[in-house]
Amino acid sequence: MVNRLRDRFSGQSIFFITSIGIIALLPLGFTDERTTMHLLILSLVWSVVASSWNLIMGYARILSFGQIAFFAIGGYGAAMLSLNWGVSPWLSMLAGGFLSCGIGLGIGLICLRLRGIYVGIVTFALHLVMPTIMTAGRAWGTGGSWGLTNIPLPMIGGLAFSKLDLIPWYYVAFGFFVGFLYLIYKIINSRTGLAFMALRDSETFAKTLGINEYRFSVIVFGISSLITGVMGGFYAHYMRLISPTIFNLDYFLLALIMVMLGGLGKFPGGIIGAYIITFLNHYLVAYEAGRLVIMGAIVVSVMIAFPNGIMGIFEYIKRYRTRKSYIERLRLNK
Amino acid sequence: MVSAANLALVVVTLGGIYILMGLGLTIVYGITKVFNFAQGSFFLWGGYIAWTLLDATNLSYGAVFVITAGIMFLFGMGYEKAFIRPLRRFEEWGWTAIIVTLGSALLLDNLTLLIWGPRGKTLDVLVDGVLRYGSISFAIHDALIVILSMSIAMFLIFFFQKTKIGKAMRAVAQDATGGNIVGIPSDRMYSYAFGITAMLGGIAGMLLAPRTQIYYYVGWPVLVKALVVVVFGGLGSIKGTLVAAFILAAIEVSVTNQLEAIWALPIFMVVLLIVLAIRPKGLFGEW
Repeated sequence: MVNRLRDRFSGQSIFFITSIGIIALLPLGFTDERTTMHLLILSLVWSVVASSWNLIMGYARILSFGQIAFFAIGGYGAAMLSLNWGVSPWLSMLAGGFLSCGIGLGIGLICLRLRGIYVGIVTFALHLVMPTIMTAGRAWGTGGSWGLTNIPLPMIGGLAFSKLDLIPWYYVAFGFFVGFLYLIYKIINSRTGLAFMALRDSETFAKTLGINEYRFSVIVFGISSLITGVMGGFYAHYMRLISPTIFNLDYFLLALIMVMLGGLGKFPGGIIGAYIITFLNHYLVAYEAGRLVIMGAIVVSVMIAFPNGIMGIFEYIKRYRTRKSYIERLRLNK
Repeated sequence: MVSAANLALVVVTLGGIYILMGLGLTIVYGITKVFNFAQGSFFLWGGYIAWTLLDATNLSYGAVFVITAGIMFLFGMGYEKAFIRPLRRFEEWGWTAIIVTLGSALLLDNLTLLIWGPRGKTLDVLVDGVLRYGSISFAIHDALIVILSMSIAMFLIFFFQKTKIGKAMRAVAQDATGGNIVGIPSDRMYSYAFGITAMLGGIAGMLLAPRTQIYYYVGWPVLVKALVVVVFGGLGSIKGTLVAAFILAAIEVSVTNQLEAIWALPIFMVVLLIVLAIRPKGLFGEW
């Protein structure tokens, strides 16, 4: 009985539950500090984006650089729907997600037959082309180079969200956070996740067993762009502003550092990375250009020193400890 | 209305720039299998170093051009030593290297912002003056772009086919361990590959600077076009890059002529997707 309980509530899941609990209760400590609340909300948003990027790059082994493009497509889609057609913000967030999912599937269907750098090139080109399209697409209601402002605020039962009270925003973001991270976790531990693990361990063997890499890749690519797009929609409604500056490479790089710092292919890594980088970025804003130099230096040095990120360090410590306890047990047996 | 002959000259000039940028990407990919997203930063640094040399010293333009190319070669070698070589001890270093090129690109770009400030710098044209023949006019600087890029491309083909170092680099590209066994220092060959890339990027930067200003973000639009050129021509193929550069320059010029200039990039994206859907290895690519 005790053993079974211990299995069910292993150290890892207790750790997860407590961290989610802490995240849920965090706003109580900062009700008066709007900046901190804002950063906490952004951390939730970026956690989801980084985790879905991690799903693509770390688990599915697709070198994709289009995550911020999908984020922005979702944001633009949501903003344009609710501004131009008066769609309710809740629906427009979802619609933005499906728009970005559609574009992601379209691109994925074409380029996921190829592996490695080709996907990277296409998605990165997509990212670099997007600001031009958004600037040129003024006629379609993208707002040109100024972007879209005064994006409507969502309402619940007649009560509008406001930028004065950030607590409701926090819990909406938290809802997305829990829901999407659970989805990502489920995908990682599903047949799809297993298929990718098999492909990673032995590609030829896995393919001989009949795993269709292309199909799984397209599915995961679509899901990840859907998740990212919905978060983009939330971000647009929360910031009430979306403009081509979202494509500036600093956002791109920030999200990439979150994934890398947390550890590529290590599930909760993206969350840790998102919190660290969101706050660090805020405190470095004073240095202007120096901020991005520092961020670039972090990417490079993390990749050189700890290619598996923070989660890699944890794993190293765990392995070291298990080895140590194993040696001790040997000693006792003797 | 611009005459067809003038348009053709624009195509040739643009093609020359794309050749320089594309060759840089394709050579580094061909030799080291790293896709170098920092190529745009090399482009930028080439322009800035030339500007600084012209500003601070009273060397002639030609001398500055040659010195900058030399500096950029060393810069590229240093880049490889600092950023890429430490990664090669890991198993899956290809991916990490690509991500490091992205991170370092941002590092290098914003470093220029710190050093030279946000104001755009512009270089003079290499040689002033215009060639005229009837209604056709061709700036000498543009002619130089074409001549330089073509002769560099020719030289590189010769270099990789005939010279000892070029052959050694190709050998390392095929099999680094095998190269090491027969006594080719693969590390140094990789450094050379990055050196050549940075030099080509720098030369492109210097040549394009009189046409567009040099500021910290200018490398990226050029990089996208170079990406498309390289994929179209086939990654790793010099010949393919040459042909693709001119085809894409022709596409770009006709698009700019018919629509607004801003549509050039989206059209490039469409071309990229079509190429990957129909013939992913490009015109002359090998798998």
